[in-house]
Amino acid sequence: MSGAFVHDVRLALDAIWKVLLASVLLGAGLPAVFALAIRSLAGGRLVVGRVVAGVLLLVVAYGVASGLLFIVASGQGKDISFAHVIPVISSPS
Amino acid sequence: MSAETLALLLVIVTALGFDFTNGFHDTGNAMAASIATGALRPRVAVALSAVMNLLGAFLSVAVALTVTNAVVKTFDSNATSAGHALTVPGDELLAIVLAGLIGGIVWNLLTWLLGLPSSSSHALLGGLVGATIVSRGWEGVNWVGDGTKLDGVVGKILLPGVASPVVAAVVAGLGTFAVFWIVAGIALHRLNRGFRWGQVGTASLVSLAHGTNDAQKTMGVITLALIATGHWDHLDSIPLWVKAVCAVAIALGTYIGGWRIIRTLGKGLVDIEPRQGVAADASTAAVILASSHLGFALSTTHVASGSIVGTGLGKPGASVRWATARRMVGGWLLTVPAAAIVGGAMWIVGHLFGLAAGSVVEFLVLLAVAGYLVARSRREAVGAHNVTDAWEDDQPLPLPVPNVPVDLVQEVVP
Repeated sequence: MSGAFVHDVRLALDAIWKVLLASVLLGAGLPAVFALAIRSLAGGRLVVGRVVAGVLLLVVAYGVASGLLFIVASGQGKDISFAHVIPVISSPS
Repeated sequence: MSAETLALLLVIVTALGFDFTNGFHDTGNAMAASIATGALRPRVAVALSAVMNLLGAFLSVAVALTVTNAVVKTFDSNATSAGHALTVPGDELLAIVLAGLIGGIVWNLLTWLLGLPSSSSHALLGGLVGATIVSRGWEGVNWVGDGTKLDGVVGKILLPGVASPVVAAVVAGLGTFAVFWIVAGIALHRLNRGFRWGQVGTASLVSLAHGTNDAQKTMGVITLALIATGHWDHLDSIPLWVKAVCAVAIALGTYIGGWRIIRTLGKGLVDIEPRQGVAADASTAAVILASSHLGFALSTTHVASGSIVGTGLGKPGASVRWATARRMVGGWLLTVPAAAIVGGAMWIVGHLFGLAAGSVVEFLVLLAVAGYLVARSRREAVGAHNVTDAWEDDQPLPLPVPNVPVDLVQEVVP
């Protein structure tokens, strides 16, 4: 039992740092990008500010759309890979 | 009606009851922050969350027949036909599942009465653990898995339970800190509109993910019971009616709204403003999606609570009410043992009376306990009208008007 317990802890740690890395990138990174977009919009009526804000909001929208796609794909029992920036859906191997 | 059919019917009704409690117990995970910041009116928030849960539940076609396997070996994943997939006789499976479900419901209702956000999945698995210990002995429980993947009580409950709130708190803390740093110096009223929209989007995402994950568990339990009684013989699909009733049950539960829990999460831990709300909800969504992508089973409740604490840590000058956090962690530690005790006791009751009469007695006990807890909750009702009132141990609000979003108060009172 103790051997299996240690094994579980090792497997968990292996998963946790990956979850942490991905979550910091998306869960803290995207709100920061969103905040940058709002900052650019608040800069006044400058066209540059609006364009920059638009690009930043597109990045956020991409993140949200990926999340949405992931929920739908995994609900359908499909695998989804983000390795090539554009999400690729496939049947589980 | 045979004893088996009667027991099956009661298992289905009880499973739907569990699904319902699962819905209102977890409304707060997605919506507490949006309600607390005033991004959404309370009624609108729970309605949106309910619709997202309904959609999410219908989206999921993946079959979760192995849901009970995390703690009790009932199902052979390598089986090729449904008839040979069960490793436990049908009667025994029904008895364990019914007792386990009741353990989960009773703990969910008790924690709801106390306003404690706690994991519905842990409550269900805890109830199953208790019923398994008394019926099949200590060895009948899958404690640590077989070492090839994260499994068992340790791998699916204990380790994720410890890790996920911490991970969520770190992510939300970093996010909050970054957001405050980036928008420092901009007038609040310019900020809050944008951030409220951000909150609504991320909160909807969390609700959708909740619908796909959690409704699937009840669908799996009911389908397992149908297989055990010979009413279903497919391994790669579930009956459409099962999917429909489960989706409706979790959505109705969500719509009822667990106001007591929403209040604790939204007001009891940290006084959240929209900038923090976005960071907290984005952290919750990211941690849930990343971990389900990596097969790390965690509880939405632990993640959402961790995110809200993190957003209090990340905002310069904000404070976390640690007394509330400590109460919640205490509740989490008790979830599995407490649900296990109820589940075990219910299994013994069922065993004393036999399958048919026993199931009826268990169900009546459940109704009595649930009725008492709901009646008890009426004494200090929490609902949409008072969910965002100031937390009790606070100073009185500087304005005599209830339901004022935090940022408005800050602007009026420098």
